Amino acid sequence: MSNTLRPYLGAVRQTLTAAMCLENFSSQVAERHNKPEVETSTSKEVLLNPVIISRNDKEKVLIETSVNSLRISIAIKQADESERILAHKFTRFLTQRAESFVILRRKPIEGYDISFLITNAHTEQMYKHKLVDFIIQFMEEVDKEISEMKLSLNARLRAVSEAYLAGFN
Amino acid sequence: MIILEYSNRIIEDTLNARFNPENKPKPIEMSFVDFDGVSYHLSTLEGQDTKLLLSIRWKCWPELVSYGANDVLQREYGPWITSPESGYDFSLQFDLENLGADPEELIKKVGLLKRNAMAAPYERAFDAQAMAEKEENWDPSSSQLMAVHYRDGEAVYIQHQQDRVTVIFSTLFKEETDRIFAKVFFHEFAEVRKKSIFSHCPQVLYSNREPPLEIRYVPGLLDSESQGYVTFVLFPRNYIPGAVREETISRIQIYRDYLHYHLKCSKAYMHSRMRARVSEFLKVLNRAKPEDNSGEKKLASGRTFRRS
Repeated sequence: MSNTLRPYLGAVRQTLTAAMCLENFSSQVAERHNKPEVETSTSKEVLLNPVIISRNDKEKVLIETSVNSLRISIAIKQADESERILAHKFTRFLTQRAESFVILRRKPIEGYDISFLITNAHTEQMYKHKLVDFIIQFMEEVDKEISEMKLSLNARLRAVSEAYLAGFN
Repeated sequence: MIILEYSNRIIEDTLNARFNPENKPKPIEMSFVDFDGVSYHLSTLEGQDTKLLLSIRWKCWPELVSYGANDVLQREYGPWITSPESGYDFSLQFDLENLGADPEELIKKVGLLKRNAMAAPYERAFDAQAMAEKEENWDPSSSQLMAVHYRDGEAVYIQHQQDRVTVIFSTLFKEETDRIFAKVFFHEFAEVRKKSIFSHCPQVLYSNREPPLEIRYVPGLLDSESQGYVTFVLFPRNYIPGAVREETISRIQIYRDYLHYHLKCSKAYMHSRMRARVSEFLKVLNRAKPEDNSGEKKLASGRTFRRS
């Protein structure tokens, strides 16, 4: 793990742990409704200040908290065109499977690549610390996966070019 | 299979089975296709099961004929050529009772039908270059730009100069991903060519959207991000008459399909990789769920009880 990654992930972990104290909270606007307040933002008093943690201008995490829900949006590192397309493909692949990833938001927040929405129902069903672990591990591996995919793409296309050129006399 | 085959496997396999004297001749009616929108039709003549007719249809056939395809085909398939079947551009007819000296060789040749038809403009350009080289005052305007529009929206342009032959492919990338992967591919291609063992290979240049100088004046070029141009610069050492020339022609012809084939393969690989990674993430997430403890518990004596 590089020098800047460790404190970055550490900060995200601390913030998430602190932010993840959610409780059941019915809507104040409509009777018998119970919605994630961070999404509806109908009552200002239950929203907390959003936090942005940045590693550099490309990689950052936005954590928005409310009384009964928490939204985490991640911007993934994209150094060049091929990384951009790989990141895009990967996040699209994930969001299409949001059904099984209960906490994944189907659409990322603008300016970010992928978002998670954790509600009080999730924290009641699942261990809080393991949820935080998941987010951290996700952040770690997504970068690794994208750079590995890029490397394998380059290696593959190189092998292909060599095979093609080898036939010329 | 990294390199695509030059010949058509369906033709080869079918003819192999048909030409085998142990198999009794029986009627056949087959339509099949090849790369670049080529369609074939293989049939027996009515009432004559020993007469096989193979026809090919290709959008760019008239263009190929104008570049001398008939001469090449005459050279390769002389005795087998027959008048084209209606709806097709070119036909070959075989008599199972009279297959000539070497049926194996014939099958190989027939499998290369599409390749041989396409070889005509290349051969013409190579010969023209050889002539131009001998001339003292060669006039560049005498060199003809041969365009073959072999696919919808895609074409190959062949032109000779005094010392070289340029082959330009225009190709369409339907998706942005393809376009970007192709960029990576050409980058790697250029890197590989720098190695000394590949220094004799033709130079390959790539440009996106911007057509190369040689064809800039050609009307009707699509001006779009999805359009790419690949230029091969062939020097006489790349097409010494004989085996080297044949191999170069074949290899350049498969280039476009080869490129797209490997782009698709890379995408498929990425997909399977992402699938594996996603299922791993799911496992991590599921670890966050507490294990279900509501099941039956056993006492030390072996009896079970249910927690109420």
